[in-house]
Amino acid sequence: MSSSKLPRKFTPPSSPTASYYDISDDDENGYSTITNTRTGRALVQQKPPPSDGPSTPPAVATTLLLAWLPESALGDAYDTYVKVDLIDAETPPRQSYLVPPPPATVYAPGTSCVGNYAFAVPVSEIYSLLIRPPNLGWWWGSVVINTRAGDSFPALFFHDSECASTIAQSKKRVRASFDPFGEGGGLFWGGDEVLRWLRRYVRVEKSEVEPSVYLVEPSQEDLLSFGSKPTIVGHVGESSASGGAGMDPLTKMFKEARWGFLEKVSRVTRFTRRTAEDILDSPKVPLQVRRLLKNPDVVNLQDEFDSARLYLARWAMGIAEQSERERQQDHQVVWASRDALELVDSAVGEFEILDLESGSTKLDSDKRKPVSLEEWNRWFDPKTGKLAITANEAKERIFHGGVEPGAARKEVWLWLLDVYPWDSTKDERIALMNSKRDEYVRLKGKWWDDLDRRNNDEYWRDQKNRIEKDVHRTDRGVPIFAGEDIPHPDPDSPFAETGTNVHLEQMKDMLLTYNEYNTDLGYVQGMSDLLAPIYAVLQDDAAAFWAFVGFMERMERNFLRDQTGMRAQLVALDHLVQLMDPKLYAHLESADSTNFFFFFRMLLVWYKREFKWDDVLRLWETMWTNFLSSQFHLFIALAILERHRDVIMDHLKQFDEVLKYINELSTTIELSSTRVRAEALFYKFQRTVEAADRKSGFVAPGEGSSTMRRRRTENACEGDPPNSPGALTPRAVANKGKNIEGRNGEILPNISPELRTLLNRDIIRAKVRLGWVMKIYGCSSNMDEIIVFFLFLLRSITRKAVLVMIVHKATRVTPSHLGLLEALYYATFPFNKCHWYPDTPGSLRVCTPTTHTSTTDDWVAEFSKDIARVR
Amino acid sequence: MAGSRNYDFLIKLLLIGDSGVGKSCCLLRFSEDSFTPSFITTIGIDFKIRTIELDGKRVKLQIWDTAGQERFRTITTAYYRGAMGILLVYDVTDERSFNNIRTWFSNVEQHATEGVNKILIGNKCDWEEKRVVSTERGQQLADELGIPFMEVSAKSNINVEKAFFSLATDIKKRIMDTARAEEKAGGQSSVVDPSRDNGNMGGKCC
Repeated sequence: MSSSKLPRKFTPPSSPTASYYDISDDDENGYSTITNTRTGRALVQQKPPPSDGPSTPPAVATTLLLAWLPESALGDAYDTYVKVDLIDAETPPRQSYLVPPPPATVYAPGTSCVGNYAFAVPVSEIYSLLIRPPNLGWWWGSVVINTRAGDSFPALFFHDSECASTIAQSKKRVRASFDPFGEGGGLFWGGDEVLRWLRRYVRVEKSEVEPSVYLVEPSQEDLLSFGSKPTIVGHVGESSASGGAGMDPLTKMFKEARWGFLEKVSRVTRFTRRTAEDILDSPKVPLQVRRLLKNPDVVNLQDEFDSARLYLARWAMGIAEQSERERQQDHQVVWASRDALELVDSAVGEFEILDLESGSTKLDSDKRKPVSLEEWNRWFDPKTGKLAITANEAKERIFHGGVEPGAARKEVWLWLLDVYPWDSTKDERIALMNSKRDEYVRLKGKWWDDLDRRNNDEYWRDQKNRIEKDVHRTDRGVPIFAGEDIPHPDPDSPFAETGTNVHLEQMKDMLLTYNEYNTDLGYVQGMSDLLAPIYAVLQDDAAAFWAFVGFMERMERNFLRDQTGMRAQLVALDHLVQLMDPKLYAHLESADSTNFFFFFRMLLVWYKREFKWDDVLRLWETMWTNFLSSQFHLFIALAILERHRDVIMDHLKQFDEVLKYINELSTTIELSSTRVRAEALFYKFQRTVEAADRKSGFVAPGEGSSTMRRRRTENACEGDPPNSPGALTPRAVANKGKNIEGRNGEILPNISPELRTLLNRDIIRAKVRLGWVMKIYGCSSNMDEIIVFFLFLLRSITRKAVLVMIVHKATRVTPSHLGLLEALYYATFPFNKCHWYPDTPGSLRVCTPTTHTSTTDDWVAEFSKDIARVR
Repeated sequence: MAGSRNYDFLIKLLLIGDSGVGKSCCLLRFSEDSFTPSFITTIGIDFKIRTIELDGKRVKLQIWDTAGQERFRTITTAYYRGAMGILLVYDVTDERSFNNIRTWFSNVEQHATEGVNKILIGNKCDWEEKRVVSTERGQQLADELGIPFMEVSAKSNINVEKAFFSLATDIKKRIMDTARAEEKAGGQSSVVDPSRDNGNMGGKCC
């Protein structure tokens, strides 16, 4: 119902005296008087009373009308209604007002003219009221009038937010005591007021059988048929809310869940020594909010943000998440497919709920069911044990449905993590697993049996301590990692007193073995987060180790010393947001947040800290399939951003606010809707790229037009020297505003190489170059300069560098120079054993593999600058 | 947020030190007065807020917590620049974390703003039987580096409050002095105006 046509409804007035009726009768003749209107829509109207006077309740009932009138039909009387409506007093006003009589009827008007009809039903004709407070399905509460004749009037909806008197009344209640999270919800709405005022004139009893039915002046018979022990309606809302038309259990639960959400984000503590006076006293803050903020549980949170607005926005997001969860149950959320190019200008923020013909994300529910072990086994040729469907089909199914926990996951994860090849036979897999087990034992023995290293190698001991510390603080809430039931094997360990458990020890051994397996990378914080779910699911150290190795193939670049892998992903995300939601991007730009650093944690450990444990397992198996893209995690990031874009755009103005907000989303994100959104965003992205390519006549990579190549170089973040100032700043700058003119002159989005990689289903591995040769021409034989250059190289290499330096022929590299360079090198990499080859005069080679991706040109340019500075 | 700010000063602090020395635990103790023995590793960067009162002024402390492992230093150093105070934390039961303080210190010298206030913090001082770094050695190092020193325990709630307050007091004093000096010099006052301080700490994170 639109507000302009919002009908007003009338309920009986508060108890007037007999004399009062007399006065109104005599003086007003054909007019009706309205004596009180407390609830906005619930106006109270009094009909000219019958001659015998309203002395008994039933008699009163006949004199009272419950009316519903469109505001537009009130004419001049409107102001009078409003005036009476807003009188704020407990007792009926002394003064009475004249209004034209409403049309009295005892029959329900036809429902066809909802919104415009008016009626006034004598209270004596009302048999019962069906009171439906606001709830999840109906945002507005409603009242249905059932007459004694057996008719039902159409539901009357209460638009509380538009009603001045309801607002006034709720404010009043807030002043008395406001706790939106109290028992039973205690939410105040107009229907409560209808009941409250009706109750003053007539008996209103709640049915025991139908909790939302209220009987008006029920007979003994009615009471029996509607429940043996009818409860008398108390002062609605004044006592415990359970007395009134309280919320249904679902709504109550929903509201409790909402508080749970709040509690989560506020990390409630006893700490209340904060100062929040300014916020609380600001006249801009609504009273309810001020009350709420004085709740000690909330003070903490409010202080963290200094912003009540933001606080409420978060709260609203929690509600939205909840209701989305409800809707998700039958997978009805489907994205609209829009003209891809339209997206370039418009934000994708508002997503639509539509049934859609081309809905690529709409799947029958069977496809969204997790794969059971039985279904999985059916995919295989029983004879050879070879996959009988295509790997792509299997991946598609897992991508959408996931895998059932338990035995199915134990098996399927080994495939998803590349332990088993998709085309292997059963015999091959058995042989493979046997050799992998042997290999694990061998690798583990390498450090286990090396007592010298265990006792004396500082680097190794350092790594061991780090691993142990991290293992003891990784997912300890998950049953398998909880508790310490065995004594620690090493009395020198910091955990010697605490003790340990067998799974923590297994974790430690696997990570130390990985440290051995990938010596160049070593253990880096975050890896324990990646291993824990795999081990918990597989519960077999050797299998888990190799599955982890498979996972690390794609995650390795996240842990590189020079952070190039993380940077590349943040850059890709930057470009993605720029393309898909320019408005949000512009806002993030204004908030200094386009480094997208607030996604660092999410990308580094694949949302491990953002979702609950079970959701992480589900999300990872989705992403491991590479079904749409090996970079699907960036679409998850985009989906999360889109979900929160309104809050971000309305409330977050600075980098620290954005960071805090995103960090605090941890464990509040709803997975299934996020996944569906991410998938839809991927398709949208794909269409955008295709459309842009079609119009610009882009030649697919590989055929490479010269313009494209130039653009690539321009944008290529890979061209940045690692560790240059601003090493992590996405190089989106080159992109900004540089859209390309299409064939027909229209503006097309620039699809950067970073964006194109998002369409790729192959995982991106840390790049390992076996080194390259640098020749420095024009560089004098000045040894100082060579040392400067050498220092520059050191800054840029990782443990995996093959550094080949060819020094000018004329340079005399003396043994003392060499010693100096060697010392510099070891100062940078104290634990890095490397080989020095001063093999031919004038050349010097340091050998360890490299992982950087820079081009020689960049290095030379950078080096020249360094040299210039020295000079 | 503009319009309704409830503090007179905004001070940005940064916690650095080896992984596992208890940076996050100190922060949790200070900001929420609680302690969790099995905390999680810090990944990336985060901050917490606490507003305290110093000489009748409300001082809002925004305390940034960083990942300790050396591998992430490229990222964390980006946050040095915006910090007005830095807490260098080591673990008194972990010799290595103490030895690494020098490295952390030179990192600060290299990346942080000049004149940034520092304090050396030896955490886990409640754990006497495991202690390997004596209070004297801690004090000696602090003297050598020319910064204040305090041993604390996030677990037993010893001195954590004091450490943060002491650092904040020093910073406030420095800011006031600078402002006064500039005023005397006839220049315009540049007392920190939090509303103008657009969170530049993270603005350009690298």
